[in-house]
Amino acid sequence: MKSAKLAVSALAMIAASATVATARDQIQVAGSSTVLPYATIVAEAFGENTDFPTPVVESGGSSAGLKKFCEGVGENTIDIANSSRPIKSSEVEACKAAGVSDIMEVRIGYDGIVFASDIAGNDFQFTASDWFNALSAQVVKDGQLVANPYTKWSEIRADLPDQDILAFVPGTKHGTREVFEEKVIHAGCKESGAEEAFKTALADEKAAAKACATLRTDGKSVDIDGDYTETLARIQSAKNGIGVFGLSFYENNTDKLKVGTFGGVVPSTETIAKGEYPVSRPLFFYVKKAHLTEIQGLKEFVEFFVSDELAGPEGPLAAYGLVSDPELAATQGAVANETTLTN
Amino acid sequence: MTDATNPAAPVERPSLLVPDARTAKRNAAEARFRAYGLSAIIISLLALVVLLFTIFAGGAGAFRQTFLHVPVTLDAAQLDKKGNGDIEDIKKVMTLTYGKLLDQSVQDLIAKQGITIEGLTDKDVANLVSKEASAQLRNMVLADPSVIGQTVDARVLVNGRVDGYFKGRVTMESAARDSNTSPAQLQLAETLKDKGLLAKEWNWAFLTNPDASDQRPEAAGVGVAILGSLYMMLVVLFLAVPIGVAAAIYLEEFAPKNRLTDIIEVNISNLAAVPSIVFGILGLAAFINFAHLPQSAPIVGGLVLVLMTLPRIIIPARAALKAVPPSIRDAALGVGASKMQSVFHHVLPLATPGILTGVILGLAQALGETAPLLLIGMVAFVKNFPSAPPAGLFDPASALPVQVYNWTQRADPAFMERASGAIIVLLVFLLCMNLFAVFLRRKFERRW
Amino acid sequence: MPASWTLLIVLALAAAGFLIGRSRVLAAVGGDSRKLHSRTGYYGWNIALFTAVPALFLIAIWLFAQPDVNRMVLAGVSLVLAGAGLFLSLGRTAPDFRARNAVEAFVRGLLILCSSIAILTTAGIVLSMLFETGHFFTQYPWKEFFFGTTWSPRFGGGSQLGMLPLLWGTLYISMIALAVSIPIGLFAAIYMSEYASPRMRSVAKPLIEVLAGIPTIVYGLFALITVGPLLRDYFAQPLGLGTSGSSVMTAGLVMGIMLIPFVSSLSDDIINAVPQSLRDGALGLGSTKSETVRKVVLPAALPGIVGAILLAASRAIGETMIVVLGAGAAAKMGLNPFEAMTTITVKIVSQLTGDTDFSAPETLVAFALGLTLFVLTLGLNVLALYVVRKYREQYE
Repeated sequence: MKSAKLAVSALAMIAASATVATARDQIQVAGSSTVLPYATIVAEAFGENTDFPTPVVESGGSSAGLKKFCEGVGENTIDIANSSRPIKSSEVEACKAAGVSDIMEVRIGYDGIVFASDIAGNDFQFTASDWFNALSAQVVKDGQLVANPYTKWSEIRADLPDQDILAFVPGTKHGTREVFEEKVIHAGCKESGAEEAFKTALADEKAAAKACATLRTDGKSVDIDGDYTETLARIQSAKNGIGVFGLSFYENNTDKLKVGTFGGVVPSTETIAKGEYPVSRPLFFYVKKAHLTEIQGLKEFVEFFVSDELAGPEGPLAAYGLVSDPELAATQGAVANETTLTN
Repeated sequence: MTDATNPAAPVERPSLLVPDARTAKRNAAEARFRAYGLSAIIISLLALVVLLFTIFAGGAGAFRQTFLHVPVTLDAAQLDKKGNGDIEDIKKVMTLTYGKLLDQSVQDLIAKQGITIEGLTDKDVANLVSKEASAQLRNMVLADPSVIGQTVDARVLVNGRVDGYFKGRVTMESAARDSNTSPAQLQLAETLKDKGLLAKEWNWAFLTNPDASDQRPEAAGVGVAILGSLYMMLVVLFLAVPIGVAAAIYLEEFAPKNRLTDIIEVNISNLAAVPSIVFGILGLAAFINFAHLPQSAPIVGGLVLVLMTLPRIIIPARAALKAVPPSIRDAALGVGASKMQSVFHHVLPLATPGILTGVILGLAQALGETAPLLLIGMVAFVKNFPSAPPAGLFDPASALPVQVYNWTQRADPAFMERASGAIIVLLVFLLCMNLFAVFLRRKFERRW
Repeated sequence: MPASWTLLIVLALAAAGFLIGRSRVLAAVGGDSRKLHSRTGYYGWNIALFTAVPALFLIAIWLFAQPDVNRMVLAGVSLVLAGAGLFLSLGRTAPDFRARNAVEAFVRGLLILCSSIAILTTAGIVLSMLFETGHFFTQYPWKEFFFGTTWSPRFGGGSQLGMLPLLWGTLYISMIALAVSIPIGLFAAIYMSEYASPRMRSVAKPLIEVLAGIPTIVYGLFALITVGPLLRDYFAQPLGLGTSGSSVMTAGLVMGIMLIPFVSSLSDDIINAVPQSLRDGALGLGSTKSETVRKVVLPAALPGIVGAILLAASRAIGETMIVVLGAGAAAKMGLNPFEAMTTITVKIVSQLTGDTDFSAPETLVAFALGLTLFVLTLGLNVLALYVVRKYREQYE
């Protein structure tokens, strides 16, 4: 009989639980891990200052977030997808096919990308072509295309420190890598004249662009598939390494990291907002318009997110390292009008 | 072997007290073998000690936190602008205003105590107190609006850097380079400590608070994560263990030896090798997109972990059942028990210790998994507590390993300490389960 | 009517059926239970099971397949089913009814059901990945995926997604991990079950099991911060094998430590369960303890030990955190154990949680990798089953 009692009580529990799939009362957000800290700061403030429950913010990458976003409309799908890149047209198509047709795009600001090394190490003044020469698989040396021969920064340019080349760059899963390849390596490729050399050698524009962004694989350039904390840990175990970080991560770790200038500009929220520091990317989130009426507090949350108090230059997001959008007012207007993507 | 077969061999009779070369060799081999075994255990335990030491050294700090005792005047002019005491109007006052109120209170406190520190900026003073404090103050006022206009003695959290200073994580040198604190701020904290206004105290909030955003590591806790993990373990315990043991019993005791049984058998061992994130893919497809269960819910997490844990329970359980000598079964059958009775009354109790080992290892892994939860929405920032089960199984929650994973990714180094603290909680969880298993094992273990 | 009420009514019916059945059959023989075919409880259980189980099953499956079903319809149908079960089984209850056989057949059915969940899971996994995998192969040639030796996904398209470097990394790292954990784990198990005092065993075994419960991120950080630099500075650099902080060796060693309890605890249980008479026999013939273990106990325990090793290998293949932090994320093919490499599982996770376009081959490749790994491990398991069948020794 003892087992019977146990079985009955277990079943009763399952029984009671099977019925409570009630309406969802909190907002669900998923997506990019770069947007995650900002979204949690806003979610926390939203929960504190309103009667709505604190939104649930998932991480898991832009791709997974948008995929869940495009799964369909309804209570068991998410309301907002965070993304560190604009949504692709193929993804919009997939969304539409699943019934998610009206999507609001909200740009919350910019994420700066900085180069930093151990605090006790040398000072660096980088240019795009330094990075290209340090990390590209093939470089131009004495007018010839050769496999990258450099092992020390000082071999690339005499003003750079006499230090072994070792760079921790974001892995190919990270959106940061795309920006890094485009705005640093590819820009350096052009700057150093290597792109011309590739074009003449390969006789193909596309192949030249690809060759430009191909990194060396001899262990001088190390892909990091984890996050910035991993990059930091790697710099601490290999002191001569230089890592690629987000601005907000650097600003929280200024006691351990020394930032290098890029093109003579020190990265900060101000220099990035003014456009002086070139390596940055916009951050977005996407809202299902169909959920605005269905999920309580969603509209309020979106408006709260882009309000001057939070996303403005004096708000907590900027304090944490987000480069606030100079065109924030336009975004606020678009949110108020519930403007959706048109294409 | 008699003398007749080899009469010529002169039988040498060595002394029984002096071992011959062969015996010595065998004995040496024996000693070596034994030493290997002992050293294997010592290596394992050494690794354990090293790992535990790194965890505890890093995480013990999470259980103590620095607090500041400061009198706060709740100015009616700012908190209740209309002066009518209407709760709806008071609710409109945001935490920002409370933050300013707190800043002023700390300034007043410094002035009253006559503290002067060179290079101390207003920003240093304002940042001394955690951003969580203003939210706490607001909640206090909303819970009891009658305190408006009074001066209350508030015990507020101090920011993570200053807290880190008292835990040795932040030094004056590092503060000089740090954009989030300054030596002057640390000196202020030091002076306040000397005056008895600031102290490191036991921090229950680490166990009861929910997660906090990236800007307030000092307020983050594992409350929601503990509940989430507990709920998921309940689901796993109630489903995976009975189903797993039942499957093992069938396959080992009843299944006819045919192609189908072989297929099931290979299937199960193959499922054990499937990377755990694949179960997340399955969970997303089957439970959320097909069965329409909610996102981020412990019930979905639990079900995914059940599927993941099943093979890890079945395989050891089968091995344990197999290890029960056939004589036990034969004896039971011989006195008239049915096959079913012999299994449930005799074989199963004898196999329990082995089954428990599998259960413990399976649950330990389920308890520590993050990857399968990634796609079903449990790797998330969840601030609201889930309600009591069974309804709570459908509310959003996070889990302990998720909390560890999230915190190790955050920029502020103070979260690393939190992560180690969460690991300690996780290990305590595990230890409780282990102790229970040890108890059961003692009860059932036999040797024949 | 909510489903929970339906469930409770079904359970109440079953409980009532249990009591009625038991008392009715007892009454039929005038209270003399010796005249019954089975013990009285079986008659009750027979009714309870036939009442509750089909109805509960119906509810569970219906709710899973059609979550927004009208609850009244569900309640009606399941109650009718429960009632029918109750009625039929009650009608069968008589003193000469073979209740025990009926209950046992029923329980056996339940056991079969439980073991078929494994098949369902497999089917589910294959189904949930098959579609996306097909999608992947329409965008990327299968030949290059299976036989390509370069793994370099790119954002703008033109990725090379050859899986061979990942497969090689997986095998290499797992092999090192097993080379660490099998000897240590097996010797630990032997010592615990054959040499150690019961007291020491009862302390050491749970302690070693804690190793399996430490979150892998701790191992990962241990590999990254302690073991990696150690191996680099004292082995790799003096031997001229490279200057990489993360290496196959680092990940393998640390993962090996994590796997020790999988080998040791499970093997210990198995060794412990080898009948004492076998040991006594061997010892009685004059063999030393170690000879007994090597020649008699281990062969007898072999199937279980192989199972334990397979479980450890499975865990090694599925691990991500230790590999990411210990061995890095670079997909490479090479023999140098002090070079960074990576595994299939790591890439499945990273491509699924990345920032790439979710309908592009760079993301979809995760599903193809998952399915391929699934098929590969299936092959290995079939092989292992065959080996165990061939070499097992059966005693008693």
